[in-house]
Amino acid sequence: MLVSRPAGKEASLAYAPLLKDISQDEPIEVDFDGVMVMSPSWGAEFLDPLLLQFDERLVLENTKNPSVQATLEFLEETYHKKFKRA
Amino acid sequence: MEEKELISIGDTAEMLGVSITTLRRWDESGRFPATKSDGGHRMYSKTKVELYLHDLFAVAKDWCVNEIEIPSKFYCPNRAVFEARLMKMMDEFSKTEEYKDNFNFIVAIAGEIGNNSFDHNLGNWPDESGVFFGYDTNGRKVVLADRGIGILESLKRVRSNLITHESALTTAFTEVITGRAPEERGNGLKFVKKTVIDNSFGLVFQTGDAELIINKQEKGFHLRPSTENFHGCLFLLTF
Repeated sequence: MLVSRPAGKEASLAYAPLLKDISQDEPIEVDFDGVMVMSPSWGAEFLDPLLLQFDERLVLENTKNPSVQATLEFLEETYHKKFKRA
Repeated sequence: MEEKELISIGDTAEMLGVSITTLRRWDESGRFPATKSDGGHRMYSKTKVELYLHDLFAVAKDWCVNEIEIPSKFYCPNRAVFEARLMKMMDEFSKTEEYKDNFNFIVAIAGEIGNNSFDHNLGNWPDESGVFFGYDTNGRKVVLADRGIGILESLKRVRSNLITHESALTTAFTEVITGRAPEERGNGLKFVKKTVIDNSFGLVFQTGDAELIINKQEKGFHLRPSTENFHGCLFLLTF
């Protein structure tokens, strides 16, 4: 369940050190397999920094869950930017 | 109709999650009257107690508008308790066949509303912190409420020109405030509105002296003055 702003921020901070030394051409894959519920508060805190930093290199996988889909579409509309899906 | 099952004040207090002292006070004020046994003890209709617990919106309104104590089973003093109960709700709904296609939307909406209360009132609760959170799988509803600063006061931090609760509700449900982190200004209520409409759910959102309503199957919302004026938020989702 990925629903709160603090949880999204905490996840973002936890992953930040892993992304420091990533090579220039390496894709960043975020896999939503197993996620039952997602909402924009979590998504904004976790995905927005990734989208800003990695842009086209950010690839989202297993986004079929209805609330994941709805959240991603909502964030795309808000940011006027499309996420790349695998 | 003759009441068949009467229960003691102790059992009633346990069912409602309030103290015996509170029940005595509610009886004296006429808010939740007891009947007296032959020995003079307060007794309660079990059916009436169950009906009270099922009328989630009325119980929530009593708490946030009239500042009346609520059963502890509905009170989430902090985000950790709220999220634990949200997980429990997700578990219950996900196991119910009739909700298998939309439980994730119901939980996402409840998550946005409940977490909004904690996000926007941090360090600013006017009196009692925390949220009311109740749901009824058979009655097909989720109710959330807080005694926070409300939408108008929260939005005034970024939109100082807002004056009325109705205009604040319209802004919150229709306009993108900011679209970029690290500005912690959510757009969650627009997601809630879209998800409610897309799934043909119903919604009532009260704050200040205004309420916003989306009827089931409708594609838009109605705004109107509410009969109460209070400083928090009161939310009903029906599905």
